[in-house]
Amino acid sequence: MTEPVRQKNWDFALTVITVALLGTLGVQSFIGTLYVWWATTAIPGFEISGYGQFVWWMNAIAAPQVVALVVVMGLCVPKRLFDRTALVVVSGAMIAIGMAAWAFTGSFQNGLAVYLALAALIQAGVVVLTVAGARGPSYMTEGRLVKTGSGLLHQGFIGFAFVVVALQRSAFMLPAFWIATALTLLGTVLAFYADRFAWRKTVRVEVDRSFADEQ
Amino acid sequence: MNPALVQAEIAQLIQTLSTIGAPLQALLPAAAVLLVALAVVPAWRPFLGPAVAASAFVLLLGEIVLVWFHWRLYDLAVVVSPDTGRIVGRVAVPLWVESEKLYVWALALALMAVLIRRHRQELLPGVTVILAVLMAGAALWGKPFTEPLPSFLGQYLGYLQAMASGDPARMFAAYQGMEGARQFYYNTVYMWVHPPALFFAYATFAISFVATLVMMRERHSAYETTSYRWARLGYLPLTAGMLLGFPWAIIAWQGESWWWSGKVNMSIMMWILYTALLHARLYLRRKGMWRWVAAISILAFLVLLLTYLATYIVPGAHSYM
Repeated sequence: MTEPVRQKNWDFALTVITVALLGTLGVQSFIGTLYVWWATTAIPGFEISGYGQFVWWMNAIAAPQVVALVVVMGLCVPKRLFDRTALVVVSGAMIAIGMAAWAFTGSFQNGLAVYLALAALIQAGVVVLTVAGARGPSYMTEGRLVKTGSGLLHQGFIGFAFVVVALQRSAFMLPAFWIATALTLLGTVLAFYADRFAWRKTVRVEVDRSFADEQ
Repeated sequence: MNPALVQAEIAQLIQTLSTIGAPLQALLPAAAVLLVALAVVPAWRPFLGPAVAASAFVLLLGEIVLVWFHWRLYDLAVVVSPDTGRIVGRVAVPLWVESEKLYVWALALALMAVLIRRHRQELLPGVTVILAVLMAGAALWGKPFTEPLPSFLGQYLGYLQAMASGDPARMFAAYQGMEGARQFYYNTVYMWVHPPALFFAYATFAISFVATLVMMRERHSAYETTSYRWARLGYLPLTAGMLLGFPWAIIAWQGESWWWSGKVNMSIMMWILYTALLHARLYLRRKGMWRWVAAISILAFLVLLLTYLATYIVPGAHSYM
């Protein structure tokens, strides 16, 4: 069902893109923070007259990066289930459906929400298959509980992104937020401490090694 | 409520706290100097463990005094509606605000330092130096016993004066400010979960940082595992604490562009870096990857320090400036 080597390269590529996007957002935030720090002392009345414009610029610069981040996060989901060809088709379909929702409703936010909803649906499938012990989902980690934890915490993050994108002014905001938070935290606990909860203990071989020879 | 009487009782309470806590506060910088000496001089290292345990004990004693102070303050700090003259509630000031933040961080780190088992000998000197800095900072900068809660007490005493003035407009304005702070800041459940979760995480990350430094010196993966174990212990409360900040921010900072506040920005960067750290170590088997893991770990801790300081130096929604 999957091609391990290609899968790992795809995994690595997505990780690099995610890190790059987070890095550029981080740099923007840092520069923005420094600018506010400087502007409040150097520009008289900045907080009243200049801060609004600063926020506008920061939002405008961050928006495409955040959208790209959401899209990459969505693309991380089907990689667990599909081989390379199907992966391209499914990922393309997710983006296409999201864009269709954008065009149909005239709201970019709705397009992103639909895209995230699709990602959440696929991730739910990944979690169910993982819990059932199916061979399909591929992970970088070992052990069913660890994989379930990883699946749940990513489900939680997708849920949180959905809350931010689609539910901030909805009555469902808090319930959805709490569900996403619970999934994230439960998933984190399982991913980190699965060996403490496992019924059948597996002996993890952690080979200590020296880094001295590695340049 | 008799505002003058409440004010006098609070003044008496602060005086008592100062009398009990001042010697303790003076002891902390001296203990910090001693701890650094024990950590730096190899021949004195055998005394380091007991000295750290003694410091944890002293900090714990001080925390008990602070708990007593806050408990008494809770009894006194009532908020009364100027319309009805009835008590609408009491202000429950948490133990991790204003002058007590560094103290709580130092206490958490001291208790964890006592509990370190894996690579204890290697980690303890570095952890002790960070602990000493926090203890000195808590005593010299925070001054939780001699200058407690300056912002809260300033606001509350101002509220009492307004209530005693008899001027309805002044009374109502002071009441609105105090009741808002009570509901959305001091007494909210988020305030009682978000900061302590983060201070717990900060303490674990300090130990993870020291383990990374030891890994760089020894160039061995066993120390990376130790660093990872402390980082993952902190990642859970960090994530929980930051997630819980989201609905709180939406409620408390309605209408504000809080997401570009310096403190919020730095916090998100810190979380991203610790997320990156926990993911990067999955590729540790790749040649030379340990350098990236070490670099991310060090950068994450530096950003953690900046995140803490951002509250005091960068203006914005999440700022004490």
